[in-house]
Amino acid sequence: MTNMPSPATRSATSAAGRNDVVIDARDLVVGYRKLREKIELTALRDVNLQIRRGEFICIVGPSGCGKTTFINVVAGLVKPWQGTMHVNGTPVKGPGPDRAMVFQDYALMPWRTVQENVEFGLEFVKHDLSKQQLADRVAHYLDLVGLKGFEKSFPYELSGGMKQRVGIARALVCEPEILLADEPFGAVDAMTREGMQAELERIIAETGQTVVLITHSIDEAITLADRVVVVSHRPGRIREVVEVDLPRPRFEYDIKANERYHELREHVWDLLKGEAFGAATEGEA
Amino acid sequence: MSATVEPKTVAPGDGGPLNGPERTFRYSPINYLRRYGAAGLVLLNLTCFFILWELFARAEVVSPLFLPRASDMFRTLFEGLSPGGIILQHVFYSMRMFSIGMLAAAAVGIPIGLLMGASKVMDSIFSPYVWAMAALPRVALMPLLILILGFSDSAKFTLIFLSAIFPIIINCMAGVKTVDQSLVRAGQVFGASKTDLYRKVIFPFTLPFIISGVNQGMTRGLVGLVIAEIFGGNKGLGYLTTRAAQSFNPALLYAVLLVLVVFSLGFVQIVKIIETKAAPWRNYGS
Ligand SMILES: Nc1ncnc2c1ncn2[C@@H]1O[C@H](COP(=O)(O)OP(=O)(O)OP(=O)(O)O)[C@@H](O)[C@H]1O
Ligand SMILES: [Mg+2]
Repeated sequence: MTNMPSPATRSATSAAGRNDVVIDARDLVVGYRKLREKIELTALRDVNLQIRRGEFICIVGPSGCGKTTFINVVAGLVKPWQGTMHVNGTPVKGPGPDRAMVFQDYALMPWRTVQENVEFGLEFVKHDLSKQQLADRVAHYLDLVGLKGFEKSFPYELSGGMKQRVGIARALVCEPEILLADEPFGAVDAMTREGMQAELERIIAETGQTVVLITHSIDEAITLADRVVVVSHRPGRIREVVEVDLPRPRFEYDIKANERYHELREHVWDLLKGEAFGAATEGEA
Repeated sequence: MSATVEPKTVAPGDGGPLNGPERTFRYSPINYLRRYGAAGLVLLNLTCFFILWELFARAEVVSPLFLPRASDMFRTLFEGLSPGGIILQHVFYSMRMFSIGMLAAAAVGIPIGLLMGASKVMDSIFSPYVWAMAALPRVALMPLLILILGFSDSAKFTLIFLSAIFPIIINCMAGVKTVDQSLVRAGQVFGASKTDLYRKVIFPFTLPFIISGVNQGMTRGLVGLVIAEIFGGNKGLGYLTTRAAQSFNPALLYAVLLVLVVFSLGFVQIVKIIETKAAPWRNYGS
């Protein structure tokens, strides 16, 4: 037990900007007004979270606890009822080119081919890429998610996992400063998932992107994250933020052979188990 | 038993070796039969129908005034449709009226429908009139139109226009209103401006609704056309049906009805072709 690895830090190059906060949520209360039922539903409550540049954050929590709501606030799609959300020091007023998102429901344009869907990611932002460079970049990310050869397919011709990967490529092609990913690997098989997780870790290490990734898989959260945010059942509160002090790159050694991995896994599992029971007794409102 | 299983979707015995995930395949006679067999059946069915009709008419079970022989009808049809024939000029007239009316209905209806779907203000301004007019049987307007416009082309044109425009408006509006919100969110996240959203997300999403609105509008417009022509004037297929009936010419009457069927099916088919060209992603499975 003495060869426990020291807390991981990312490559020295990004160490300079390492401690500035990119995403800063303070006292967030977010909810939805349901006009038909005349009720206001609180989805998130008292959320305080500071995310540093280059950090990889995974959010786990029971279904319906407000995870998607949280990254929608970061993305500027949902306005908080109370509290503030700052990205790069300025209050979030709406979406911006510094943030890209992988959607839980894919949100692909059915009238566009795979290629055109990925191009959508760069269609409305100013960039100085030539036509050829753009095509190369799109091809690069399509290759990365394993969809080479499907460029001309329409979404209805793809499996669920393939659609999801188009969504991932569309977000990655923007090479955003902040990548928001809502269960990006939920529909892909275990092997493809692991390959893509490794790829993601490699890209992030290269680009120093900040990532907020939602997942239902504790293993995925611990394998990928610098910190795992555990959210309680609705209305979502941050139950605990778990530091994952495992060395990187995590796909270059057998992380599951590491005892610390299992400790962390156990810990997150216990936290979630409490939440799942809590949610069960509360029932669906 | 380890027999290799041929994929069901590929006709056995043709195409290349199955070593990649894809291969091309050629049609076998069975494939051709599956694909075109239905058309053959329809042809056979219709032939039988017309033969029975002919026999039935020859037996004079019903008065020949009500039911002409199929052969007489076809003869009248071919003579009428040959250059200088009596049906042809009326077909051209009706087609012209119908096309102009439809084009105008689409040109006015599509923007109004899209606007109503996009803006609550526009919706509340237009919707009482749209729904009232959509609910009113359009035929009831004909006496009023004749009163105002006389037995003129403009009265007919107006009735076609009013018959066709409301399904178009309502479908366009529904299309915009039901636009998939997660697609809109995707547009916003990737930096689409309001105009971009309309051009690149909402409009393409609505396109199939627009086409189906135009399709419904055409069926209604055709009703409007025939009614307007029956009401007055001395031109068009509708007029020809009344004239044939009044001059006790059942062969001509039935021939005109057949022309109307083909006319209507033809326009619907054109829209279908436009739809497959404009919205190929909607051809799930076919
Ligand atoms: N547009 C909306 N209108 C009303 N209520 C909403 C809306 N979107 C989400 N909610 C509610 O807010 C709560 C949180 O939803 P959210 O989508 O953030 O959950 P989640 O944590 O992402 O769940 P899951 O893991 O199932 O995706 C849910 O109870 C849901 O009913
Ligand atoms: Mg969610």
